[in-house]
Amino acid sequence: MENELTYNEALSKLEEIVEQIEDDSIMLDTLTEKVAQANELIKYCETKLRTIEGDVRDVLK
Amino acid sequence: MKLINKSIPSIRLSEFISEIEDCIAAAFYGDTFWITTEISDVNKKPDKRWCYLKLIEKEGKNVTAEIGAVFWTPGYAYIEKFEKETKQLFKDGLEITCRVKVTFHKRWGLKLEVVEIDYAYTLGKLEAERQETLERLVKENPDHVKLVGEQYYTYNKSLPLPTVVQRIALITAPESDGQRDFKQELINNPYGYAFHVDEFVTQIQGDKAHEFILGKLLLIEAQKEKYDVIAIVRGGGSQLDLKAFDNYDLAQAVASFPIPILTGIGHDRNTSIVDLMARQEKTPTKVANVLIQRNFQFEQNVLELKERLSDTVDTLFTNAKNNLKEIKRFVKASNPLTILKKGFAIVKQNNVIVTNPSTIEVGAEIQIQFDKETISSTVTKKKKNGK
Repeated sequence: MENELTYNEALSKLEEIVEQIEDDSIMLDTLTEKVAQANELIKYCETKLRTIEGDVRDVLK
Repeated sequence: MKLINKSIPSIRLSEFISEIEDCIAAAFYGDTFWITTEISDVNKKPDKRWCYLKLIEKEGKNVTAEIGAVFWTPGYAYIEKFEKETKQLFKDGLEITCRVKVTFHKRWGLKLEVVEIDYAYTLGKLEAERQETLERLVKENPDHVKLVGEQYYTYNKSLPLPTVVQRIALITAPESDGQRDFKQELINNPYGYAFHVDEFVTQIQGDKAHEFILGKLLLIEAQKEKYDVIAIVRGGGSQLDLKAFDNYDLAQAVASFPIPILTGIGHDRNTSIVDLMARQEKTPTKVANVLIQRNFQFEQNVLELKERLSDTVDTLFTNAKNNLKEIKRFVKASNPLTILKKGFAIVKQNNVIVTNPSTIEVGAEIQIQFDKETISSTVTKKKKNGK
């Protein structure tokens, strides 16, 4: 689903979710769902970051 | 046959010449005289250290006075000194001030022996000519030559050297020291830079040299996009005859030339006018060195940028990873499952999370969700916390 996202887009989405999680009034039900979304975005960002770093290092060689 | 001569008293030629010799000796013996004269028919005998020449004076094109002259070994040293001091070949057409002795020889006749040259006179004259040329360059080329204080600013000198120099047009004398030194220095550069040198060889000494050099410049200008810089070099061996480089036309062409010109004319005392119009280096080797250093500077800049880039990339990725790690930790800590693992439990009634216990009556059925299991139970008692 997130394949089209750039790293920065994914990251700002992630940050948005983190802010929502930080909100005290969040309901537990919603929290579980947000955490799941956040985890998915984190995984996406990690993969993306690794790929980008690999590419950049290749170019710099 | 009648011998007429017998009747007239006569003396032998040798006796007569002796009398002339005596007269001249009586009038001039032991004296020397300073004269200013033009020289011609200069015929040097370097192996013997003699020099035959004529001293002449002209009115327009007509020679109005002329006498044979000679330098013997003691005077010959002055020719060498003259050439060293004035950087001019001692040759026909020069005007000099010299000290002479009147000599007379029975067979070779009257001659002036030159015993000293006043090269200060020639130097002064050359300097005056040079100043005149410089003033004319400034006056007649206001767009290309400016004098500020004692510095000459020219269009050519204002052209920036290319960031990387690779294509060089070399003006030099064929098979000369300057040519060899310049090329050796480039080829042996320790960084392995490649240079492409096109040689424009020409005579660079003598009366027509400035025309030849100018011709080469025009040839280069016709294909100017092929070159990054021009180097004009000559070897440091001979210090003589730099006159070509003080020529007005050549200096003017150099000052307004569209490709940066570097000179290594190889002389340490006088700076020629061409030097003043271009980027002057002392020797051909130094010109080559400037070009090598120019490229070295570029390479250093590139390497530095590469290092900065690499550092920036490192920082960027480290920060991004740390940031992500931080978020990950927070999200993990916020995960209800993580909380349950610590011994907390979620209370649900009919699968809806209960946040307000006042809605639950004694006897109601509730579900308590732990980390791994959910327990169903019945409320038996209610009590406010802390009471």
